[in-house]
Amino acid sequence: MPPREGIYGLMAEFNTPTELVEATEAARAAGYRRMECYTPYPVEEAAEALHFHETRVPLLCLLGGVMGVTTAFLMETWINVWGYPLNIAGRPLWSWPAFIIPAYEWTILFAGLSAAFGMIALNGLPQLYHPVLNAPNFRNGATTDKFFLCLEAHDPKFSIIETRAFLETFPAVSVVEVDH
Amino acid sequence: MASGHEQHEAGHHGPRTLPASLNSPEILSAWRKRALIVFAVSAVISLAFLALPFGKAHILRAYLLGFMICFSFFGGGLVMLMLQYVSGGKWGMLLRRPLEAMTRTYWLVVAMVVPIGIFAGHLYQWWAFPNSEATAKAFAAGLMTKEQQLTANAKHAMLNPTAAIIQTLVIFGILGLITYLLNKWSLERDADPARNTPASYDKWRVRFENLSGPCIFVYVVLLTDAALLWIMSLDVTWYSSIWGLKFLVGQGYAVLALSILTVILLSKVEPMKTLLRTTEQHDLGKFIFAFVMLNIYLTFAEFLIIWSGNVPDEIPWYLARIRGGWWVICTADFVCHWLIPFCLLLSRNLKRDKKRLSAVVMFMLFARCVDMFWIIEPNFHDAASRFSSEGLSVLAYVTVPLAVISAWAYYFFYQLAQRPLVNINDPHLAEMLEPEHAH
Repeated sequence: MPPREGIYGLMAEFNTPTELVEATEAARAAGYRRMECYTPYPVEEAAEALHFHETRVPLLCLLGGVMGVTTAFLMETWINVWGYPLNIAGRPLWSWPAFIIPAYEWTILFAGLSAAFGMIALNGLPQLYHPVLNAPNFRNGATTDKFFLCLEAHDPKFSIIETRAFLETFPAVSVVEVDH
Repeated sequence: MASGHEQHEAGHHGPRTLPASLNSPEILSAWRKRALIVFAVSAVISLAFLALPFGKAHILRAYLLGFMICFSFFGGGLVMLMLQYVSGGKWGMLLRRPLEAMTRTYWLVVAMVVPIGIFAGHLYQWWAFPNSEATAKAFAAGLMTKEQQLTANAKHAMLNPTAAIIQTLVIFGILGLITYLLNKWSLERDADPARNTPASYDKWRVRFENLSGPCIFVYVVLLTDAALLWIMSLDVTWYSSIWGLKFLVGQGYAVLALSILTVILLSKVEPMKTLLRTTEQHDLGKFIFAFVMLNIYLTFAEFLIIWSGNVPDEIPWYLARIRGGWWVICTADFVCHWLIPFCLLLSRNLKRDKKRLSAVVMFMLFARCVDMFWIIEPNFHDAASRFSSEGLSVLAYVTVPLAVISAWAYYFFYQLAQRPLVNINDPHLAEMLEPEHAH
């Protein structure tokens, strides 16, 4: 893949999480959708302001669970009825009550793995490069004591002039352009 | 993210203020009136069943169902109240006063057990034939099978009228004492002259914990005895060691459903409007989801173990609940009691939405009754044929429990109105007024 060029987004730096959350909510209200908050520790309100909970992880988890229960139940059916039929205490070969526990365990296993790996995949991980690391103030502050809001250039509402003006209405320490 | 989210936005940027009045709102008297109307209508319809040839027996059995549901609310409320004292947490603080009101329905629930004692001879074989001579005669007359005769004799020490009355008195005596102390201390806690100081917080927390911890254990023992005595002994031959625990989980299921419904309906007006945050509502939704899971876990485990064992002593209990038309009820129980609540409560947005969550918990209360019906009714060997010959009589299992439960609800609303809706001398109160965090 050829290296991408141009501007990735505009990043505002804040000193407090409250300012970050207020700016994020205002950006969403102004119609921005492609944006991300970067904080040194989890800030729940920021996730909420980004509507971060509306992700596809629950769907992936559900699909994984359904896949787990189906796979386990069909597998046990095949083993007991066709693969290796055994007479166990005279019970029918297709003794479904005995299949429930393994099917339940596979449901949990598949759902758990789908949620974990689905989350990693939806986050775009593993990722060896990210444009925001080009900003020097980000490299210094993002893991210690600064709070960042990045409005990304591929948002339809993004405009280098208006978006900058918009971000400068907040008490941001700085608003910098981030290159790809 | 409908209404739940809007509320979240509103209380987002800063602490809320405690409402001026924490007293129970006026709407409780309207609820009381409604409960009374439901009681009157369903009681009158229930009495009409007396005209049916077998109506009395149906009313009695349906009454036992209603009584067990009301006992779940009282006893389950008590154990949940103790649980929130030992576990702490804002969810418990939120439910404390509704749970206390449930426990204060004590006298009504005690009174409700009296008719069962009076008519016990029509429900329990061991009461009708209380000694080995009587069981021998019953066997000779074809009223008991040989197995019923022998097991009734073997279980005579626990299952006879005198022992049953003593057990019931002990159960209600101890539960009454715990109820009295918890309710008394709760008022004293708010009236403490040193209130809202760390010393007062600690003093009361420790006092409640010291009573609640051991009493949870006592409660589980007493509930096991109650469930064995009142329900399991309907079939004198059967036994299951998970029985008491199954009822305990069922009580948690019912009580959480009722509590969630109560706080959501109360949150239409102050003070609950301020006190019920989406965060705690979501927590309670997750908590009741755990009970939905635990309930199917125990119910299925019991079934699986008995199915695997395939022992003639145990299997008939399930055969009586699956064959002969009961398959419909068995399936309805599985679908209503587990499948529907489970699928719906998986959703995060539903748990945060007041309207939808309250609809689900209302349905869960109905499902508890279906479950209780499936547990109680197939004990009577004539039940299925009676239903097919007198189709109308099945309605008694709707109207009688409805009458009993609405009478209980009337008293519950009355008790709920007696106290402010929240404890003030508790550090969690300040936390409940803090801005919300998303989960």
